[in-house]
Amino acid sequence: MRIPRSLEVWKMGTVNYLDALKLQEKLVADRKTSKIADTVLSLQHPPTYTLGKRRTDHNLLIPESELKKIGAELCYTQRGGDITFHGPHQAILYPIISLRDIGIGARNYVEKLELTMIELASLYGVRACAGQKGETGVWVGERKIGAIGVRISYGITSHGLAFNIDPDLSYFKHIVPCGIADKEVTSLRKETDSMLPTEEVIQEQLISCFARLFGYSNLIWKEKGSILSDNGENR
Amino acid sequence: MACSRMMWATRAATYLRISVPFTLRVRGFSSVLRDLKYADSHEWVKVDGISATIGITDHAQDHLGDVVYVELPEVGASISQGSSFGAVESVKATSDVYSPVSGKVIEVNEELNSSPGLINASPYDKGWIIKVEMSDKDETNKLMDSDQYSKFCEEEDAKH
Repeated sequence: MRIPRSLEVWKMGTVNYLDALKLQEKLVADRKTSKIADTVLSLQHPPTYTLGKRRTDHNLLIPESELKKIGAELCYTQRGGDITFHGPHQAILYPIISLRDIGIGARNYVEKLELTMIELASLYGVRACAGQKGETGVWVGERKIGAIGVRISYGITSHGLAFNIDPDLSYFKHIVPCGIADKEVTSLRKETDSMLPTEEVIQEQLISCFARLFGYSNLIWKEKGSILSDNGENR
Repeated sequence: MACSRMMWATRAATYLRISVPFTLRVRGFSSVLRDLKYADSHEWVKVDGISATIGITDHAQDHLGDVVYVELPEVGASISQGSSFGAVESVKATSDVYSPVSGKVIEVNEELNSSPGLINASPYDKGWIIKVEMSDKDETNKLMDSDQYSKFCEEEDAKH
């Protein structure tokens, strides 16, 4: 018998990457002690390149000193995965959930994150699929539309997925995205002729796909746009 | 369908129990070894005097996917039971690994730097991760034996 499971959804607007990271660390600790229930953060970032635990900075193709000129930051993280770019018009979900409570492991979790983005794309007639072995992520043909990078600590997840609604794809030219050369990056805007609703609607649809795939029947929506403001300096 | 699969597994396990000296139990499709102790975070420990060899279980490697990177501790580092001593990366997920015992790291499996896949291919043998000089042998009493661990895995898998 399935007990109805609750998911708290934080709608956060645009959040500085490091601020979001600090928030996730706190939420992971709270989730671990069951102070909070399963939570997902829904947000976007200002232009930010990020590296995973393996620190594959050879995949950043411009010197770090050049980043400020193009309006971007670089952050090092403990998540899995290679280098990626986050920026405006890219929908991000950071689920802070207990995998032990639902009895799944990393592989199954990542597959479901891929399916979340595949389902969202299909709402707009875009046929996306999971990557081949070693190429975790969501692809439309040979073009990558969604990326994943996750950290699991005491069975609690952090980081998550990034889905390209309509980001400035030229930022991806300065990296070897996810360490995979010779493959393009794409977006929902590029792949569909359909009229796109507002990004807020698309992000809500993404959350609904996530909730359905993970078996959450009760969603608690919280507007958290004001709790972390953008880093005010030089923006 | 599941019923006949269990029957097959039970028959195979019974057969193996007779013919294999160190007694391999087969549960579903993950193997569990009799002479090891297990933590609920899916690490195993093999005790030999005050020395302990630690790795992750077959169940763990199966649920992780193909391991592409292993973060190892420094030799000489102190670790305590239940705390993280490193991490493994698979399918773009880094998962912390936890020590089943407290003590000092005396050896790490350097092979894993070039061949992280050993954890998948040989989780109880060539895929060992660290060796520890234990500070308190009695800590292993808090761990599960193979029967308890098998049951634990079944219960976890039944949740979804």
